[in-house]
Amino acid sequence: MSIFTSMNTTASALTAQRLRMDVVSSNIANVDTTRAKQVNGEWEPYRRKSVTLTEDNGNGHFSSLLNKAIGKKVNAGNGVKVTKINEDTKTPFKLVYNPTDPDANEDGYVEMPNVDLLTEMVDLVSSTRSYEANVTVFNASKSMLTKALEIGK
Amino acid sequence: MAINPVSLSLANTQMIDETNKLNATTTTPYEAQQSFAHTLKDAIASVNTQQVQSDAITEKLINGEDVDLHEVMITAQKASITLNATIEVRNKAIEAYQEIMRMTI
Repeated sequence: MSIFTSMNTTASALTAQRLRMDVVSSNIANVDTTRAKQVNGEWEPYRRKSVTLTEDNGNGHFSSLLNKAIGKKVNAGNGVKVTKINEDTKTPFKLVYNPTDPDANEDGYVEMPNVDLLTEMVDLVSSTRSYEANVTVFNASKSMLTKALEIGK
Repeated sequence: MAINPVSLSLANTQMIDETNKLNATTTTPYEAQQSFAHTLKDAIASVNTQQVQSDAITEKLINGEDVDLHEVMITAQKASITLNATIEVRNKAIEAYQEIMRMTI
């Protein structure tokens, strides 16, 4: 229903921010994980994950194609969607000297995940605020509709 | 000031023509009722769909399926808005009906 366009848009953002929060929590939980996956028989530490957000303009959806074909206005609601969860392969692993660790190399250094707690906390706050903003949009949209129902009362 | 004489015969024929035209284009009360009932039924069915969707997604959440909490809330809100809209339409329809019933004949 077209009266719910803004609600659907904001709902897509809420879903995206939830997923972002999930990724951040995974990063923080694995801040000390030295055994995330095995590469050629060697344990590799956890790699920081991040999400790629893309505008979901409905391209390729059946309804948008149909609307375009019959010359109807394509709706204004462009949601957001997470297209990819990428692993950070650029930042090097942190080396910590701890010879007693079973994962230490011959020099006694252990490779720790390339997760920076400060960055994760910033991401956490950012996704929380973004979620709040979208809830505000939803409430505004709802109160607009409720006001519309009061017309002529 | 000259007053044009009223040509009764012409006016009468015109009136008859008008009534004939009216009869040809208007639907019978039965047809009108049917189409109104149909429209109302469709609208209420669509409102019911929203309620059913809201119920289904709430149940999914309770059963621990992969559903976001905000999705449940949003579906519930949508259902509530459509229901309120229906109530407003019903109030208007009943208002009109009562207005007609109050008419003194």
